[in-house]
Amino acid sequence: VWTIQDWRPLLTLGLVIVLGASFTRLVVSAYDEKRQALATQYYAAGMQALDGHRAVDAVNALENALVYSNNNFEYQLKLTDALLATGATDEALAQLHAFLDQRPGDAEVNLKLARLEAKRNHADEAWGYYQAAIGGVWPGASDPFPQRIAARFESAEYLVGLPKPEAAEGALVALAELLPDAPAEQQKLGELFLRNGDAGRAQKIFESEVQWLKVQREDVHRDGGGARHGEQIGTAAEQQEYLAAVMGAARASFAQGNFNGARRWLSELATDTAESAERNRMLGQLRRMEELDPFAEKTTAAVRAQRTVVAFRIAMGRLAACGVPFAEAMQGNAAAGAGRAHGKEQDAAKWSGLERWALQVSPWMNERKLKGRDDVIESTMRFAFQAEMTAQKECGATATDDDEALLLLARERMGASR
Amino acid sequence: MKPLSEGTRERLMKLMATPVRRKYFESLRRMLGPSGVVSIREEQFFLVLAVAIGLLAGFCVVLFRIAIQEARLWLLGPAMHPSVARVLVVPAAMGVVVAVLAVRFFPRTRGSGVNQTKGALYIYDGHISTGTVVGKFVLSALAIGSGQSLGPEDPALQIGAGLASGLGRWLKLSKERMRLVVPVGAAAGLAAAFNAPITAVLFVIEEVIGRWSAGVLGAVVLSAISSVVVERWFLGSEPLFRVPQYHLDHAGELLAYAALGILGGVASLVFVKAIKNLRPRLRRMPEWSQYLQPGVAGLLIGFMAIWYPQVMGAGYEWIDLAMHNRFPWEVLGILAGLKLLSTVLSFGTGTPGGLFAPVLFMGAMLGGSVAMLEQQLFPAIAVPVGAYALVGMGALFAGILRAPMTSVFMVLEVSGNYSIILPVILCNTISYAISRGFQEVPLFDLLSRQDGLDLPSLEEEREQPTLCVEDAMQDAAVRPLGGDETIAAARAAVSGSAVEHLLVSLGEGRWSVLSREALMAAEDDAAPVRGLVRGRVPRLYQDQSLDVALRFLKDRPMLPVVDRGNLDRLMGVVSIVDILGAYRRAGLAEPETVEV
Repeated sequence: VWTIQDWRPLLTLGLVIVLGASFTRLVVSAYDEKRQALATQYYAAGMQALDGHRAVDAVNALENALVYSNNNFEYQLKLTDALLATGATDEALAQLHAFLDQRPGDAEVNLKLARLEAKRNHADEAWGYYQAAIGGVWPGASDPFPQRIAARFESAEYLVGLPKPEAAEGALVALAELLPDAPAEQQKLGELFLRNGDAGRAQKIFESEVQWLKVQREDVHRDGGGARHGEQIGTAAEQQEYLAAVMGAARASFAQGNFNGARRWLSELATDTAESAERNRMLGQLRRMEELDPFAEKTTAAVRAQRTVVAFRIAMGRLAACGVPFAEAMQGNAAAGAGRAHGKEQDAAKWSGLERWALQVSPWMNERKLKGRDDVIESTMRFAFQAEMTAQKECGATATDDDEALLLLARERMGASR
Repeated sequence: MKPLSEGTRERLMKLMATPVRRKYFESLRRMLGPSGVVSIREEQFFLVLAVAIGLLAGFCVVLFRIAIQEARLWLLGPAMHPSVARVLVVPAAMGVVVAVLAVRFFPRTRGSGVNQTKGALYIYDGHISTGTVVGKFVLSALAIGSGQSLGPEDPALQIGAGLASGLGRWLKLSKERMRLVVPVGAAAGLAAAFNAPITAVLFVIEEVIGRWSAGVLGAVVLSAISSVVVERWFLGSEPLFRVPQYHLDHAGELLAYAALGILGGVASLVFVKAIKNLRPRLRRMPEWSQYLQPGVAGLLIGFMAIWYPQVMGAGYEWIDLAMHNRFPWEVLGILAGLKLLSTVLSFGTGTPGGLFAPVLFMGAMLGGSVAMLEQQLFPAIAVPVGAYALVGMGALFAGILRAPMTSVFMVLEVSGNYSIILPVILCNTISYAISRGFQEVPLFDLLSRQDGLDLPSLEEEREQPTLCVEDAMQDAAVRPLGGDETIAAARAAVSGSAVEHLLVSLGEGRWSVLSREALMAAEDDAAPVRGLVRGRVPRLYQDQSLDVALRFLKDRPMLPVVDRGNLDRLMGVVSIVDILGAYRRAGLAEPETVEV
């Protein structure tokens, strides 16, 4: 047994430890302050460089910032943005995966990964990360609902753009159930449904939006501006929301082939609004459609014959522009040359049915011959519709306004889908 | 100290009224000796001292790390890419300053500090001067902060050991305790610098103590943990690198890791051979050149740093970037090569600073390079660059520092991921085997011998054959006699033999030795042999070391070797002649024959 008779060494040792700890704390505090100042300074420089599209400078500055604040998540995320801006996708991906290892449920990281994978055309991975972002943890947000809605919108938009209509439809329906009545968000949802080809749902959303805004407006009038929403209703922003909803409803009607409905909605829009260009374009299309329609009410036999001849020519022109051999031949050499020049020379066999049909009706393409021959008019118009639809399918959307009007007419008459 | 007064005693008795309190005061009373002063056993005090050493070493290492960073900020500026003027001027100028101070005022601060600590332990009875500690602190901070390609871990080890040595001197510890206190401080210093207590403990056992010693293990572990607690308290518990998650997807990946092991082994060999050849040559140069050598090394490193600033200093921030795919494989390969060259220059010229960080840097870059190349060759395979970098670190550590166990645990501790163990063991073993195959003496032993010191080496001890009882054991010339056997029967059994001593089995695992003379001189033929034996002899087992056999043998003519499953079954006998014969046959290598 070793007995300490004298306490002084132990007391001194204890004192040395306390003094050592205090001194070290002082030094560390000063050092931490300096590091923090340097980190902030480099971070600011990095953000400035990033805003100024100087991605390489931003990467350097943010790397320096991370030297002095190596666990700063915000800096790390910004560095990832900077890396992406320099085109260093692999590096950014590795960084993000490292973050995900550290914070598996972090929504922001998952969202960035989703965007990155979307850019790399890895649809499944992107969708998985979007899902993780929607269900993930949003650090710093006491109520993450807005962030989750935004992530849902982004993921749905991604699916619509792929396009993956079925998956997108599911995502949009789920979003519709969660979405509050905020006009801007409803508007966006309607647009996405429309882009996804579900004009019916889009129509309902826009119409209910218009109704809701009308009710708000009526409330304002009734309450003399003292209503709950009164201060906002009637402002330029509110008016803009209303017009956008009306325009959306018009577009949805148009897309469904409900042209009368579309006309009704378009008539609600003034000519000097932000939507006027689109409004005018749509009205122009409707007008041209009416001008080409031989089946319109109160149309004389002569006009009907004339419109049929015009429709036939438009359809043949579309086929020739598409490089269809028989149409080129019937249109003349110049058109044929143009078709080939555009690299759209087509396989003759594919078009043989339309060729036979064209040969059958072409001898009748004279206003006098057609007069009173509703059977030929009917057949010719069917040919024109079929030619336009086939050309659109085979050659893509290179149609003129006339072609577009014929397609709309086809949809109205035949109920054909786009 | 005055004995307790009556009043105090009464108050104490009142306090002891409840059973829990009574139990507590009983243990306190046991600590209080008859004179009322604290009396604790020396071993217990040594553990308390180990904690105090750990705390103080922790403070020192925290300050040391800050000093390096401050020196870096002051000398090279805050940017990761310093200006060309700075990288050319600062390492060279500071190299000269550090060399002057080291040569003239702090000669024991040159080099890494590991072999100096080991030397202090085995040659100077654990004495490391305060000047050496101060010098190591200041000069290493200046050298590393000015961009010399060295790390803070080995100096931290020496600082910790020096601190413990100073404390031991102040407390007037015995010579034996002074030798124990140095590794305790070394472990604390290294643990705080590397933020890895297990690695520090193993490294100190493998490289500083140089032999397995259970006596000091508890204190070493306590001090290492205490210092890491201090370090994490002040500098945070973040690991040195952000290590990506890893899992071995396919056994085929092990082939790539094996290739990395081969590359790591070759790189280790190149590094050790370069140090081995350059260091003595530079030391033989005229004395005035010693003042300039670190400066020249700094100048050359500065030239490299114009294009590759990563070669300067410890480089942990760059390891982190390499682990996250931030460099193409060519750059990683170049960085590994340049770091090797710059570290050979810095270390070879005797600049104070450690090898830990540069070795890890080289390993990480080499591993990352292999991974990135693999990724380029096989784009369909997802190659975890971070895992390769980690495994590369282990490979270089095993190959250069030749501490295989430490190398494995270092990677596990740094990564916190045990699924990486298979690649690490494979890679480290290959690298270690290559290094061991072509360079017999490990680096730190080599450095010690170049300095004229011959210190014990765990690697040599590990590779010495351990002789066991079975290596010396012989068959018994005569069957063992039974204790209940009659003397007449026993005489008949030994009649055809000339043995002088006979083994007697007394049953239940008890054995004795009887001389032939005593047997023959017995008068009653019908009496049992048991009556002739005087005392028992210890039994041996085949797997016991010859050292144990020698201790038991004393002046006995022989000892029985028995079966562990049946203590009455004789496997053979061992005598002093048999043991000496076994040592002769083993033919151990003599120290003089080892090539340096």
